[in-house]
Amino acid sequence: MSNTILTRALVLLIALSMATTAFAGVLPDAGEVFVLTVLVLSGLKSFVILSDYLGLRQAPTFRGGFTAFLVGFLGLAALLYALPFAM
Amino acid sequence: MTDQTSVLDELPGDLMIWVLIVSELLVFGAGLLAFLGMRAMDPAGFAADQAALNRVAGAANTIVLVTSGYCAARAVNAFDHSLRAMRLWLAAAMGFGIVFLVVKWYEYAEKARHGIGIETSDFFTFYYLLTGFHALHVVAGLIIFALLMRWGTHRNLEAGAAFWHMVDLVWVLLFPIIYLVH
Amino acid sequence: MKYQTQKIAYWYFLAAMAVFAVQVLGGLWAGWIYVSPNFLSELMPFNIVRMLHTNALIVWLLLGFFGAAYFLVPEEAEREMHSPMLAYIQLGILLLGTAGAVVTYTFDLFHGNWLLGMEGREFIEQPVWVKVGIVVAALIFLYNVSLTVLKGRKTAITNVLLLGLWGLALLFLFAFYNPANLSLDKMFWWYIVHLWVEGTWELVMASILAFLLLKLTGVDREIIEKWLYIIVATALFSGILGTGHHYYWIGLPSYWQWIGSIFSTLEVIPFFAMMSFSFVMVWKGKRDHPNKAALLWALGAATVAFFGAGVWGFLHTLHGVNYYTHGTQITAAHGHLAFFGAYVSVNLAIITYAMPILRGRDPYNQVLNMASFWLMTGGMSFMTFVLTFAGTVQTHMQRVLGENFMEIQEGVHLFFIMRWVSGLAVVIGAILFIYAQLVPRREIIEPTDQYESEGA
Repeated sequence: MSNTILTRALVLLIALSMATTAFAGVLPDAGEVFVLTVLVLSGLKSFVILSDYLGLRQAPTFRGGFTAFLVGFLGLAALLYALPFAM
Repeated sequence: MTDQTSVLDELPGDLMIWVLIVSELLVFGAGLLAFLGMRAMDPAGFAADQAALNRVAGAANTIVLVTSGYCAARAVNAFDHSLRAMRLWLAAAMGFGIVFLVVKWYEYAEKARHGIGIETSDFFTFYYLLTGFHALHVVAGLIIFALLMRWGTHRNLEAGAAFWHMVDLVWVLLFPIIYLVH
Repeated sequence: MKYQTQKIAYWYFLAAMAVFAVQVLGGLWAGWIYVSPNFLSELMPFNIVRMLHTNALIVWLLLGFFGAAYFLVPEEAEREMHSPMLAYIQLGILLLGTAGAVVTYTFDLFHGNWLLGMEGREFIEQPVWVKVGIVVAALIFLYNVSLTVLKGRKTAITNVLLLGLWGLALLFLFAFYNPANLSLDKMFWWYIVHLWVEGTWELVMASILAFLLLKLTGVDREIIEKWLYIIVATALFSGILGTGHHYYWIGLPSYWQWIGSIFSTLEVIPFFAMMSFSFVMVWKGKRDHPNKAALLWALGAATVAFFGAGVWGFLHTLHGVNYYTHGTQITAAHGHLAFFGAYVSVNLAIITYAMPILRGRDPYNQVLNMASFWLMTGGMSFMTFVLTFAGTVQTHMQRVLGENFMEIQEGVHLFFIMRWVSGLAVVIGAILFIYAQLVPRREIIEPTDQYESEGA
């Protein structure tokens, strides 16, 4: 990856991490909305790492596969989080 | 020779490092889902234990690690024109990696002071297993980087950096689930 | 035969097949004791028969692996073996040790003697002097093979084979360490048992399979090697910490339940990769090799290993499940299909491939051999289903309802009869296999025109 793309990725990652931290400060005890937001933010960070740090931007097939894994994983995580509410 | 090999050729870097990355993601993914599954059976107990974690340390470590990942990626890029620049970037990556471990050490020591160990509760079993395995990967990454300082080739560096990004990726997924979800 | 020293493999394969015959006959005997518990119990108690059955299995599989190494290393390294003499001395030591172990077990000689008596730890019951012999034989073997490879061409196949065989030999050293603490005893015991069959042996199997597919399908070496490395990486990644799935209930910390469950679940991956590898190679292959039986065994090994080791292993590997199924007939079902699929079949595959070459004959179309494949595989699969049913019933009645063990044994009696019959099919298949390797001197069934056109 070119240095420009890397730097942009770093800025994005730090911004997303800050957002997570800020959110955890604003809504320390909130339930579903908080958890979903935090999971989505972590998914976005993962996507940036996969695309730019690991260079999957150049390998769209594999980026698609890893993204599907991320979506599936975070979806399952959200479902498991919500499970006690259903019981 | 066939379309199948050409798809694999699309992957940046060595195929074997990708086999490792996928394997690691499966292990940590399964561990984190098992953690959430156990949590579903005892949300209150997990929440009480989670309150003992140091969120600030975890959040800070996220930033430390993504910055370290950036340095590692820059080291790969620098290699082709300057060995010196490569070493500087790699040293920076290692520096942030060490900071990560120091923070982690501080967290573990804090737990130990309160008499919390791996067998204290289900929550802490997972906490220590998952963050401990992850920290071991950080240590492994530092050793790899130390070797690359001396014996770096473009191919080796790329593989070492990819390993480091994987460690980064795992942390980004692990942190919110262990530290924040409640 | 390109290299004269490949002939060593012939004697190893002969010895392997002889012990194979003993092993399956022992199995038939042990199986009959399940049907009729007092059968010759004064002469040979069940534990001794079972010991012979399992020990003979390990010995002949190892003899087969050594034979495979002597067959494929010269061809891969493109030079003669360093020393044929050492290879024959090694075979002599192994056979002497085997005979010594059998006699010691059968008559329980030197009971309690630290050097000459049986040691009593499952699968590594061999008296200490036999264990020392095994180590000496292994050292001779590794010296011989490693020197040959070092002096010759190095390929991925020989690298992986050597990695597997070195690991196998080094791990066996834990057989000499027997701590008094029973938990520690078991912990180190699994370093051998588990790290053999779910670690180093997998490497040996993958390497033999890769060699066979290279020869039989004619696919480029480069592609075969890529697959081989993926299989090796996933096998070691999952297999080493997968040992944790034996640490659930032996007194080790409870976090092993999660490490074991997660890593051992991933152990399915290398077996799935081996199966995919075999079929993809055959599908891509451009060569129509005359030895169809070897190809059948190779494909069969990869497939049955996936089901036996992979699927049946996963069935009871999660600690939540294993809490109920531990040590029931489900374990026996998994053990039989896994060993047969992975290690028996891969040995029979390399024997089937190598024997016609070693004896300087055409491979013919090997109808008898293929019939033996279907008899053994069919028998073993049926046995696995039967034992799985028996195990499920046993788990429910004993572990869930809490009924008495012996009453349940009577309840599943019918399954034990069916298991014995399927075992008989395996034994007939095994004898047919050995006959097919050694006796026929000409084509027994001529291929018809119709077969030709289909086969081409």
